[in-house]
Amino acid sequence: MWRGLSALAARAARVPGPGPPPTLPRGPPRLRAVPRLDVCSPTPRRRCGGDAGSRAPGSTIFALSSGRGRCAVAVIRTSGPASGLALRSLTAPREPPPARSASLRLLRHPRSGEPLDRALVLWFPGPRSFTGEDCVELHVHGGPAVVSGVLQALGSVPGLRPAEAGEFTRRAFAHGKLSLTEVEGLADLIHAETEAQRRQALRQLDGELGQLCQGWAKTLTKALAHVEAYIDFAEDDNLEEGVLEQVDRDVRTLKAALDSHLRDARRGERLRSGAHVVVAGPPNAGKSSLVNLLSRKPLSIVSPEPGTTRDVLETPVDLAGFPVLLSDTAGLREGVGAVEQEGVRRARQRLEQADIILGVLDASDLTSPSSRSFLDTVVAPLVAQSPNRVAQRFLLLLNKSDLLPASTPAGDSAPAGLPHLLLSCRTGAGLDGLLQALKAELTAVCGDPRTDPPLLTRARHQHHLQSCRDALSHYQPSADLALAAEALRLARRHLSHLTGGGGTAEVLDLIFQDFCVGK
Amino acid sequence: MFLLRDCGRRAAASLGRRLPLRRLGSDSAAPCGARFDVVVIGGGHAGTEAAAAAARCGSRTLLLTHRVDTIGQMSCNPSFGGIGKGHLMREVDALDGLCSRICDQSGIHYKVLNRRKGPAVWGLRAQIDRKLYKQNMQKEVLNTPLLMVQEGAVEDLVLTEPEPGYPGKCRVRGVVLADGSTIYAESVILTTGTFLRGMMVIGLEMHPAGRLGDQPAIGLAQTLEKLGFVVGRLKTGTPPRLAKESINFSILNKQTPDNPSIPFSFLSETVWIKPEDQLPCYLTHTNPRVDEIVLENLHLNSHVKETTRGPRYCPSIESKVLRFPNRVHQVWLEPEGTDSDLIYPQGLSVTLPAELQEKMITCIRGLEKAKMVQPGYGVQYDYLDPRQMSPSLETHLVQRLFFAGQINGTTGYEEAAAQGVIAGINASLRVSGKPPFVVSRTEGYIGVLIDDLTTLGTSEPYRMFTSRVEFRLSLRPDNADSRLTFRAHKDAGCVSPQRYERASWMKSSLEEGISVLKSIELSSSKWKKLIPQVSISVNRSLPVSALDVLKCEEVDMDLLATAVPEPLQKYTADRELARRLKIEAAYESVLMFQLQEIKEVQQDEALQLPQDLDYLTIRDVSLSQEVREKLHLSRPQTIGAASRIPGVTPAAIVNLLRFVKTTQQRQAAVMEHQTN
Repeated sequence: MWRGLSALAARAARVPGPGPPPTLPRGPPRLRAVPRLDVCSPTPRRRCGGDAGSRAPGSTIFALSSGRGRCAVAVIRTSGPASGLALRSLTAPREPPPARSASLRLLRHPRSGEPLDRALVLWFPGPRSFTGEDCVELHVHGGPAVVSGVLQALGSVPGLRPAEAGEFTRRAFAHGKLSLTEVEGLADLIHAETEAQRRQALRQLDGELGQLCQGWAKTLTKALAHVEAYIDFAEDDNLEEGVLEQVDRDVRTLKAALDSHLRDARRGERLRSGAHVVVAGPPNAGKSSLVNLLSRKPLSIVSPEPGTTRDVLETPVDLAGFPVLLSDTAGLREGVGAVEQEGVRRARQRLEQADIILGVLDASDLTSPSSRSFLDTVVAPLVAQSPNRVAQRFLLLLNKSDLLPASTPAGDSAPAGLPHLLLSCRTGAGLDGLLQALKAELTAVCGDPRTDPPLLTRARHQHHLQSCRDALSHYQPSADLALAAEALRLARRHLSHLTGGGGTAEVLDLIFQDFCVGK
Repeated sequence: MFLLRDCGRRAAASLGRRLPLRRLGSDSAAPCGARFDVVVIGGGHAGTEAAAAAARCGSRTLLLTHRVDTIGQMSCNPSFGGIGKGHLMREVDALDGLCSRICDQSGIHYKVLNRRKGPAVWGLRAQIDRKLYKQNMQKEVLNTPLLMVQEGAVEDLVLTEPEPGYPGKCRVRGVVLADGSTIYAESVILTTGTFLRGMMVIGLEMHPAGRLGDQPAIGLAQTLEKLGFVVGRLKTGTPPRLAKESINFSILNKQTPDNPSIPFSFLSETVWIKPEDQLPCYLTHTNPRVDEIVLENLHLNSHVKETTRGPRYCPSIESKVLRFPNRVHQVWLEPEGTDSDLIYPQGLSVTLPAELQEKMITCIRGLEKAKMVQPGYGVQYDYLDPRQMSPSLETHLVQRLFFAGQINGTTGYEEAAAQGVIAGINASLRVSGKPPFVVSRTEGYIGVLIDDLTTLGTSEPYRMFTSRVEFRLSLRPDNADSRLTFRAHKDAGCVSPQRYERASWMKSSLEEGISVLKSIELSSSKWKKLIPQVSISVNRSLPVSALDVLKCEEVDMDLLATAVPEPLQKYTADRELARRLKIEAAYESVLMFQLQEIKEVQQDEALQLPQDLDYLTIRDVSLSQEVREKLHLSRPQTIGAASRIPGVTPAAIVNLLRFVKTTQQRQAAVMEHQTN
């Protein structure tokens, strides 16, 4: 937030661009005129509904609102008072477009000036917009590099931040822009959105970047807890000497680490993109054979021996035109060697993160304990999800159909009532049916608007890490300690968008764990 | 004989003011069937504030207590305020509550904590003369218009059919006393502290009591349990008291009070006692011998072994020794009053058998010959899960029944007083059918306290910390009046004209002062000449305002006024105004940005949920069972409160929006009805 002003001031100093055009009456001048805190008297409570026009400025949010996958055009939306500023920042030096009509503009990164894309831009001043606030729509070319570039450019505009799940909807509701039925319809969508974000977060926390963020969050929470302890308890109780000095050192180290991370632009690229399809099942059901079949290359070692695959093997493939990250996992079973158990643990973890799960069973061996256990512990909970709550999609495949006696009618031996596909990885029978079903699922997953794609995640990452770093630069231990703590609180809040945690309860836990305080 | 007939409220109020003020002792005629607007049970810090607040709002109020002479008793530490707690006292005062004013008349050692850490976290604190506090508080309570006081033990509640349109399975109509008499009331506030099934513990001995020498309330506890309230158990403790003349102060560190003293109340210009007449405190420390005695005798200490939750911060010497072994802990020796022979060893709360307590005390430096006058003891008591209340402190289960203070799982005089004021105001507003007075998290520490309790509950005695407060930089001790006094005046009518005028004058003076400071703009080199000690870079090309200069640490209004006497001189005459201008300047830039966040929170809090929603059974809405149960327990009033409950997902919040619509439609219908 501090960054907001300083960046704006810096911009104003460098580019004394044209004044706010008539079509965009709410540019920087209004931002500069953020209402001064009126000698701290709280503003009167605002009832919602109706008075969207006179609404006080909130923060401005942005998100990719079209689906991921290979679309020709991607739509990026913003909502909030800084929308106009965002539009002007990206389309400078040309005149911004008139309200509510599509215009072609070259988008540039507001800091570097680097061209990003030629796009259709639309400007909807509030209250006549989707959310009732000032909104901008950018229709850009659908390539990942373009979308990612535009999202990062938006994130660098002062006052803009990535939207949280359901935030556009809540804003629209608060301004009386959504009917009751629309709200109800959106609830399921937001559930999917939240789930997708959660899975995306899990995927990252798994990786190197996730571990980095977790480490920083831990350091920062501890630093914050120690400053808070110093404020709340120092005079009554004997906190150890040197607590604040240690905090200073930690903050300095953290700033350096964030700086070096933010300078190294490549780190952001390591995120894996594509829908996550995970193949799972009991040992020796033919999971690896299926993966090899789908990827058209011998990726996994296949053997008649159960437990051949012991780690998660992943490969990017193109399935029915969609980018897919296909994972082969160890067969799920208990009571085997340590290495295989670790494989099983990783398999379960990967299941959590999947968009689509392909459950594979041996059609000729459905009554074995391992098949039963898989059906009970993995399949049953997945199937139990109500169909309208799009959490994780699931296809049940009965492999080795070639081993079934020819006389058995298809599905006779299948688990009661479960929809499934018969398949033989050996002969290729049923593969077409599988690809068709997969295509339907992938269309649903990738076409789902506003589920959090890795591109947005990357913009989110950059935004919050940069904001965290900016907040830390306001940490000045020597002056007012309440102000210093505020800088740490803000920095921690930005990290918590990536890692969760850092709330009051956690801070207090740390204080009571580290210090003997109270009376 | 007390004979107020059940006439209209307005008439009763004016009648009450003209009546000679009286105290109903147990000897006066039993007021069988007497009727009041608000009955408050308990005369502790929550009860006195609640009763006085209800009376200030114009309700005929009765305060029921076991013994009138224990009203205003400080049953534990002889001090008020502290970090976070001082904030609460300022807010209680801004609502025209009592404790801050009484403390300004009863303190014997005033000291602001956290002086070097920024005015947002200053902790106003004072050692208080117990006797004086009690005297002054009783004088105040017994002279409050519309407030009657009666001795009596409440055994049961009078309950009737619920009012339609409000949640709750029944409605409280009054209370039944131990002598069988009934007192009728429109609202009832329970502030029974640790008296619900209170047990005192010393060593292995346990006996029922709410406080040393006082009976616990058992009948009431049973009634509440029968009604279906979820009850939990907590423990707390108090240190032994020492004879003053038996302590060797000469070898200990002495702490002197502030000069000048900073008063608690916005209405007090000074406190009643001069700094040089105030009493000092002394500091000593525990040593390894204390640890040994505690550890060797754990088997004789049932309070420590009990599984009942005490706080994680360490109030008892036993928990300090157990959790942080091999350390030295502070013991503050605090005076109990100008003519008291007792010393309160803060930090030495202990439940060992009495003779071992004495043994432990005498191995501490300065206390070698100390005489123990009263042993320390532990108290275990019932509390009610505070999630069973709405933020007005009315219970979900029983209409017009309010809880305040330690009964809700909090600890501390100030936390109790804060809840008391809110319960008193709301009990009164409920009687007159007005909407509840709720302080939001963005408006005050009181809001944070009550929102934490009612949405998250507590499993240990809840104490206020500044770290619990999101908007700490705007919720400061200095500006509690601008945050709360005007709302309290407008929405609750509980503020005296004198206070309202003072707050209004201060608000307009501050606004004027700040705009004047902003309007004075000089070049940085000019400022440098006027105030050589100011740390402004001379290279700044833009003019610098007086407000920006005031932001510098080393500049205050006096210094600024010597540099620019006209027009700044007049803003230094009122000392408080001068101090507050400096504080406003210091936080101005950061607060400008926090305002946006505050607005977002307030927007979510404006989205109100209907109060009669049955979360467990509502259909056609996809809420998981887990979320339903959480919502059912906490009954959030707003979307903001709902989203703070752990486990309530964004999707669930969107699902709840439709019920906001219902509330809005109902409110619109009511408005329409009223205008027709």
